Amino acid sequence: MPEILEVQNLVKKFKSAKNELTVIDDISFAVEEKSSVAIVGPSGSGKTTLLGLCAGLDLPSEGTISLVGIKLNALDEDDRAYVRNHNVGFVFQNFQLLATLTALENVMIPLELRGEKGIAAKAKELLGRVGLGDRITHYPSQLSGGEQQRVAIARAFISSPKILFADEPTGNLDEETANTVTDLLFDINKEEGTTLVMVTHNMALAENTNRIIQLKGGKLVADQKLAKAL
Amino acid sequence: MEYIIRIKKKKRNILNDKWVWKMAWRDARKNFSRLFLFISSIIIGIAALVAINSFNDNLQSDINSQAKELLGADFVVNTNKGFDSTVIAMFDTIQVPQATDARMASMVLFLSDAGGTRLVQIIAVDGDFPFYGEVETVPEDAFSKVKDGFYTVLDENIATQYEVSSGDSIRVGTLAFPVAGIVKAIPGTGSLSSTFAPSVYIPMKYLRETGLVQYGSRVNYKRYFKTETTAQADEIIKQIRPTLRKYGYGYDDVAERKEELGQSFENLYRFFNLLGFVALILGCIGVASSVHIYVQEKKESVAVLRCMGASGWQSFNIFFVQAVIIGLIGSMLGAFLGVVVQYFAPLLLSDLIPLDITLAISWSAILEGVLLGLVISILFSFLPLTNVRTIPPLTVLRTGFEKIKRFSKVRLSIILLTLIFPLTFAIYQTESAFNGSTFFLTLIAAFLLLTAVAKGLIYLVKRFFPHSWGFVWRQSLANLFRPNNQTTVLVVVIGLGAFLVSTLSLVQNSLLNQVEFVGSGTRSNTVLFDIQPHQKDGIVALTNDNNLEVQQLVPIVTMRIQSIKGKTVREIQQDTTDNVSNWAITREYRVTYRDSLIDSETLLKGEIMPEVINPDDSIFVSISESMLDNLEVDIGDEVIFDVQGVQIKTYIGSYRDIDWQRIQTNFIFVFPNGVLEQAPQFFVLMTKTDDKQQASKYQRELVAAYPNVSVIDLSLILSTLDDFMSKIAFVIQFMALFSIGTGLVVLAGAVINSKYLRLKENVLLRTIGALKNQIVKMTLIEYGYLGLFAGLTGIILSLAAGWGLSVFFFNIIFFPDLITLGIIWGGVAALTMIVGWVNTRGIISRSPLEVLRKEV
Repeated sequence: MPEILEVQNLVKKFKSAKNELTVIDDISFAVEEKSSVAIVGPSGSGKTTLLGLCAGLDLPSEGTISLVGIKLNALDEDDRAYVRNHNVGFVFQNFQLLATLTALENVMIPLELRGEKGIAAKAKELLGRVGLGDRITHYPSQLSGGEQQRVAIARAFISSPKILFADEPTGNLDEETANTVTDLLFDINKEEGTTLVMVTHNMALAENTNRIIQLKGGKLVADQKLAKAL
Repeated sequence: MEYIIRIKKKKRNILNDKWVWKMAWRDARKNFSRLFLFISSIIIGIAALVAINSFNDNLQSDINSQAKELLGADFVVNTNKGFDSTVIAMFDTIQVPQATDARMASMVLFLSDAGGTRLVQIIAVDGDFPFYGEVETVPEDAFSKVKDGFYTVLDENIATQYEVSSGDSIRVGTLAFPVAGIVKAIPGTGSLSSTFAPSVYIPMKYLRETGLVQYGSRVNYKRYFKTETTAQADEIIKQIRPTLRKYGYGYDDVAERKEELGQSFENLYRFFNLLGFVALILGCIGVASSVHIYVQEKKESVAVLRCMGASGWQSFNIFFVQAVIIGLIGSMLGAFLGVVVQYFAPLLLSDLIPLDITLAISWSAILEGVLLGLVISILFSFLPLTNVRTIPPLTVLRTGFEKIKRFSKVRLSIILLTLIFPLTFAIYQTESAFNGSTFFLTLIAAFLLLTAVAKGLIYLVKRFFPHSWGFVWRQSLANLFRPNNQTTVLVVVIGLGAFLVSTLSLVQNSLLNQVEFVGSGTRSNTVLFDIQPHQKDGIVALTNDNNLEVQQLVPIVTMRIQSIKGKTVREIQQDTTDNVSNWAITREYRVTYRDSLIDSETLLKGEIMPEVINPDDSIFVSISESMLDNLEVDIGDEVIFDVQGVQIKTYIGSYRDIDWQRIQTNFIFVFPNGVLEQAPQFFVLMTKTDDKQQASKYQRELVAAYPNVSVIDLSLILSTLDDFMSKIAFVIQFMALFSIGTGLVVLAGAVINSKYLRLKENVLLRTIGALKNQIVKMTLIEYGYLGLFAGLTGIILSLAAGWGLSVFFFNIIFFPDLITLGIIWGGVAALTMIVGWVNTRGIISRSPLEVLRKEV
């Protein structure tokens, strides 16, 4: 399978007034299309930073990132936003729904940004798939955590992304809800044939993927391919 | 494998990006109350501006349209020394309708049931004056009866006060005139001027017979001319100007009258323009601070949109569209409110202005207001909104992650524009580059100083943090420097608001104090003038008989200048190389003689010559410093005076600074003793009465025995002045209320907006067990600190600004009212605390869970 994400000699340093902190230290790996990868490691190991860099939310201090064949280093913020809109979906730990928008409006945003028309039907269908067909006019504050995360999953898939980045998608949910959300995430991912890159502490969740990358102190310490296919 | 790296972005501008407009609406519909804060500062600011500018426009057009009525003629020649027979002969050759009047201050005795005496302005009339405008009298023919017969009419306010009506009589000098009626309105005078100098009209042909015109009497004569066209008036003026100049007569035409009127309203204009400027700047601050805090909250939402693929400009445009639409709505509402307020202006000002104020809608003021509101909304929201463009999408993963570019070309351009706008507006509003720039620089200085104070405060609190204090005090103090603190924004906004409001108050106080003077203590409160030499002893005796002390008895001699430094007045007039003022060399001087200075005078240079002992000695006179330039003289220069045909050669021996605002008999020239004692002269006597009954009895006896002597009763003037001041003060305060109102809205907006940033942590504190009482105390103390520091800084700055404005802009004495400043300081601190407390109530009255779940 071709590679959809390629990371080479990636370094990320944060500078403060007094010192410099290396959060990602010379990491290289590549992710094949339609595969699923879990990035695991203890707190402060650089998981979320790596996810952000891979998704083009930030630029590395050194090294290169190619996402869907496009070198992100060469792009400015608006160009990277364009790349994200056309290729990337996100699911966050704290859901990140827009408080002033209804569930339906939240889901429609990625396609609205592309200027597409007739998207409400698709958004409703997706909300129906995540079990929220009757809550489309509700605002985030009127939904439970699990419901909010389901809206976020619908939003992530509406633009048919080539790659989905998930940051601790069940981190804020109870076990039962987490299981429901996980099932939903993997099911839709499978149906859509999307590549999944997920940051998690939950090894059980990580074992659902077909590859686990382990980080420690900003370094890649293990890269394990699992036999289990999606 | 290699993918082709090519981004095919469709660039969409704000107008054709429907998504931006959709998102702007979606965001706004849940934030109406927040956006109302943004709108409210614009509404009040623009309302003040539209009301002030509409009123100014209407006043200007009223002056233009009513100037002829105000003058009563096409032009008028005036003098205070009577028209020379050759000049009268010249007037008689001019074939246009003419009229004459003579005006002088005098006592009158009311022969009505109420009785009493009063200093009034006697106006002796002859001819068909006024040629323009109507004299309204009751009965209607009363004024024509005065012109034709032996009658008098008088202003309505004294007629009411002394219960005078048709059929009663008034004694003017030695004659008792039957009252023909009451004057309700006469062109060119407002009710206020008749309050100050109520008028009694008599026929000109009886003026001499009244015996009022004596040596030293100050009579102002006017000759009115009615022409067919303005060009004819200009032609006649051109012909007679050399003669008028020769005799030192003045003239006034319609154009000049318009200019004079404009000038007389200049301080009012300036003050109103200042109010407009302040209201607008407060509106600008309101917009900038509201948007700044609004954007702070929207960071996470913007970061999410950026993750989804929204560009920096798209994110920016969502809020920019809101600012523009809300700004436009606010400006239109403000303009509407301004028009409503403007309709109240004539009710407030009709007593103060001798014009019929028109209630016209000034479309130019409305358009200007709406455009300005729109420009402010765009300009002052642009700068805080530029931060939206650079909010990194990574913020969704790392709360608090900030990588905002502080300086970009766009930011720099907007900063420049936001600086240029108030500068341009200040220059436009004050109609002066210097004054406008000074206003602007003062504001910038205040802004920078307040920022420095805020930064200094944060540093000092951090540096000397009182670790031993209790939790509540420590927590509230720490709030001043913790991440996401609003200390700088609030100190600047509150401080600038306090600065502007207290500057306004200081200027207002100084303006009000301008005309106030002291008639207390042992100072004289009664002045008798026009006392003839043969009346002097009798009046002194009458004064003593009334148990009153003669505090001053000042001799006055009238004279004219014959020559200066060897050049006659005629030669000086013909010499085009010098700058001697014509009025200064042709006027009549009232001069006294004494051996020393009085307490309203300060010797600046030279010596006071006490007495001339030997008739051959040189006579050294003292001159007022203000006349040195007008006469182009200095110490040692020769000045020859004509005293009733006798020439007296003198030399300038000294010059003095005179406090003309003091109620004293002040003189431009003071002669030494031993020179003028035998010259024709009259006297002014000053005394102090203790109560109304004593004053009234004294004045009645005086008028009965000496009808030509006039009495100025300072207590009467003070009470009239008090009435006048309360009217003026009401107008000023009413208009200032707008600026103060805007300031309060901005203050409340800043505090309310900052609440949203504090909300989550207060809820967290509640969740982990903080008592309601502790949250309230923390909020009150934090906002108390902010209010006190910001208020104090603003007020200290306002003292400097108020002084500068009073002295250099309004040319008045600076009167800082420390009590009012204290009230403003306390008010600002209290208001900041109250608004903070009211906001906290919303949090503490609900369960933490409810607040946590509620989107903010």
